[in-house]
Amino acid sequence: MSKTEPLEMQIRFAGSGGQGLILSARILAAALAGEGRFVAQSQAYEPTSRGGLSRSDLVISEREVDYPLVTALDVAVILDQVAVPACAGLLGRQTLTIIDAGKVTAPPEEPQTIHALPITETARALGNPRVANITALGALAELAGLIAPQTLRARMLKLVPARFRDINAEAFDAGQALAKAAEKV
Amino acid sequence: MSTLQNIQGNAACAAGAIAAGCRFYAGYPITPSSEIAEQMAARLPKVGGTFIQMEDELGSMAATVGASLGGVKAMTATSGPGFSLKQENLGYAAMTETPCVIVNVMRGGPSTGLPTRPAQADIMQARWGTHGDHPIIVLAPHTVREIFEETIRAFNLAEALRVPVVVLYDETIGHLVETVDLTPPQPEDIVTRTFASGPAEDYLPYAAGEDMIPAFPRPGDGYRTHTTGLTHDERGFPTQDPQKVDAFMKRLLGKLERHAKMIEKTESVEVDDAQVLIVTMGTPARAAKTAIRQLRDEGIRAGLLRPVTLWPFPEAALRAAAKGKRAVLVPEMNAGQLILEVQRVLGGAAPVSGLNVFNGEPIAPQQIAQAVKELVK
Repeated sequence: MSKTEPLEMQIRFAGSGGQGLILSARILAAALAGEGRFVAQSQAYEPTSRGGLSRSDLVISEREVDYPLVTALDVAVILDQVAVPACAGLLGRQTLTIIDAGKVTAPPEEPQTIHALPITETARALGNPRVANITALGALAELAGLIAPQTLRARMLKLVPARFRDINAEAFDAGQALAKAAEKV
Repeated sequence: MSTLQNIQGNAACAAGAIAAGCRFYAGYPITPSSEIAEQMAARLPKVGGTFIQMEDELGSMAATVGASLGGVKAMTATSGPGFSLKQENLGYAAMTETPCVIVNVMRGGPSTGLPTRPAQADIMQARWGTHGDHPIIVLAPHTVREIFEETIRAFNLAEALRVPVVVLYDETIGHLVETVDLTPPQPEDIVTRTFASGPAEDYLPYAAGEDMIPAFPRPGDGYRTHTTGLTHDERGFPTQDPQKVDAFMKRLLGKLERHAKMIEKTESVEVDDAQVLIVTMGTPARAAKTAIRQLRDEGIRAGLLRPVTLWPFPEAALRAAAKGKRAVLVPEMNAGQLILEVQRVLGGAAPVSGLNVFNGEPIAPQQIAQAVKELVK
């Protein structure tokens, strides 16, 4: 892939509106900034409160970047089939790709490695499918080697509403466990 | 003091406004500017300021002008359709020389268009949206940090020159969260309008000295004034006397030229040895910077001139930057607006071509690099 900025890394969270992926990206952005890295976090969504394509991107660098939007993804987290076409042209052989095994029925073809994890199913088993975004974050932390999972987890707990802290902690841990199991395969 | 933080463009705008001394906000929420209203609603009460959500954009602009006439630094923010609605009272602010700041976070148009997608199709509206010849300043930041800085500068210019100032940026930067160091301004970097002083009986509210800027009558200070959108004399009363109208219009329109040095601001990147000059603003300017680096790696010399102050347009800076260039490229997220001004200013001195994207997607570095390569073929 083309590296136009020093030590740059590009990540996308993509799915359907209401899945909470913008929050996932903001939590990751906050945790990375806490480690002294520079992030540019953007998003695109449709003018509906639920459904439709929703995505949030991170460009991570050692200084303020010139172009703040993604051009070639290092990591893609895709939680709904609707988001697959939206990643076309941004995925390559080397893109570390995590997909929701239940919701992505036709995975993208470009990436060499795709981790198909039962993210939403796991969240539902915990009692609330809406924590799928945090389950995905746990899986990402384990697989991407971007930041220490414990650092990200701690930041996440500070940013989610207090009454949902326990279930989000469980969701994060479950996501990490899914990824660990997948790595062994 | 360093304050490295992750902050959204629209939140940086609100932070800049508060830092500049803004203590009144009237608005009507609209995507993609709503976070500015949200932030001002949270921040203003903490500094003794006032936030009002008005019934619509007409009322918001009217309330902003009214608050400023009361002597308070005031602002409003909106997007496309709301910006159209603010135009009448924005003209009233220009005519009555009422300092105020209007933020327009550009989305796709016309009409309700693409509420959540970026565009730059209000470049001409920002200059000519209200009727009649009128003075206006438009600032065009391209990063989250610059939104903070330019919002502060917008208040300073509005106050110093008694003119409405528009802060114009696209949805991408408005909603972008970046890790930035927002250094709070020093007190000496904040400008407040000159209030009337001296004997009240000699005071003429629209009489100005060498600097062409009348002293502002702060309500309660005892200076008689009259405020009208009708063309007025130095007393502030309506007049149709051709000599008085002529003198008034020349001062109203001439004051920005008199203070051009204070207003003008551009950024140049690798312009000197460039074969191709790129002229653009906002998110496309960031794409251009990346494209310039890629192109130079391949031996193609491109450079960027970016108007930070968009209006009044930086004519001299553009002429100097374009001198001897093989071609000029104007990428913009619209069907061709900035290019009209570039062509007018250069008057055929260099061939000018556009790169126009108006499908709701930002312009990528690769698109600019490709367009430059076509030009040097």
